[in-house]
Amino acid sequence: MFQLVTGGSGSGKSAYAEELLTVPVRLSDTSVLPHIYLATMKPYGKETLEKIRRHRRLRAGKGFVTVECPKGLDEVVLLENDGVLLECIANLAANELYREDGSLNGRQETADRILSGIRSIRRQTGHLVVVTNEVCADTGDYSSETREYMALLGALNRQLARMADTVTEVVYGIPVSVK
Amino acid sequence: MIMVIGGAHQGKLAYARRLWPDIAWAGGRTCGEEEIFRCGGIYGFHEYIAGRMRDGADLSVLPGKLWAENPGIVIVTDEIGCGIVPAERHLREYRELTGRICTELAAVSAEVHRVLCGIGTRIK
Repeated sequence: MFQLVTGGSGSGKSAYAEELLTVPVRLSDTSVLPHIYLATMKPYGKETLEKIRRHRRLRAGKGFVTVECPKGLDEVVLLENDGVLLECIANLAANELYREDGSLNGRQETADRILSGIRSIRRQTGHLVVVTNEVCADTGDYSSETREYMALLGALNRQLARMADTVTEVVYGIPVSVK
Repeated sequence: MIMVIGGAHQGKLAYARRLWPDIAWAGGRTCGEEEIFRCGGIYGFHEYIAGRMRDGADLSVLPGKLWAENPGIVIVTDEIGCGIVPAERHLREYRELTGRICTELAAVSAEVHRVLCGIGTRIK
């Protein structure tokens, strides 16, 4: 099972994505395998650290093992698990697109690298939940670098939606089924 | 409590006026801090949030207080979180906080309608 969850900022998509893996609790389940949380946020600056702390609070007690993976998803080898939550494609796309010196990697090769990473993760779990983000619904009046990022994320979202069994947009905590 | 949400300029208020023609409306940009707890409906709720942020108010209590004091209110608000994360810190805080407040209110609302091109879809 591969489920894609999307939504805007502050939409409640993370909490919903976690529920897909952890609710309902299967009382008869004797499995002790962990859920794996693939974290993509690079911890720099006070605001990002606060975001990371908030997400950790949300996940606390839900049986997640966190694996930091800001880039290079295709090289990740996971332990045996009861499901993987990858959050989120918007961070991963930025980390893979922008080089340290501020220049950009090619859009197509970046998309291919990320998708190959997701296929690799998909092979290592029976239940993959991927969180992505809606960033293309405003004026679009941005620098060419930012427009390149939007095009990359849009292309990734379209491709992931084709691969996924279900696609859900979370709107203020309400799941709206798209596929 | 009922929410009508969607992007800017989608006909949310016209849609709400059609469904609930007898409501006394307050405008989020112009109404006073306390008016929201007495009005029948508020449009531009995101602008109410922006105004209270400028005042330096503690908005974490707003969803609970609104639910306690005006549980029948109709809230019309823009969805503002579906674009590129802004470079300015206060704008990032504004869209994040608006999302969190609206998510809390949507959880207790009996109905949530999303309007696109003037057409409403009830999602809750």
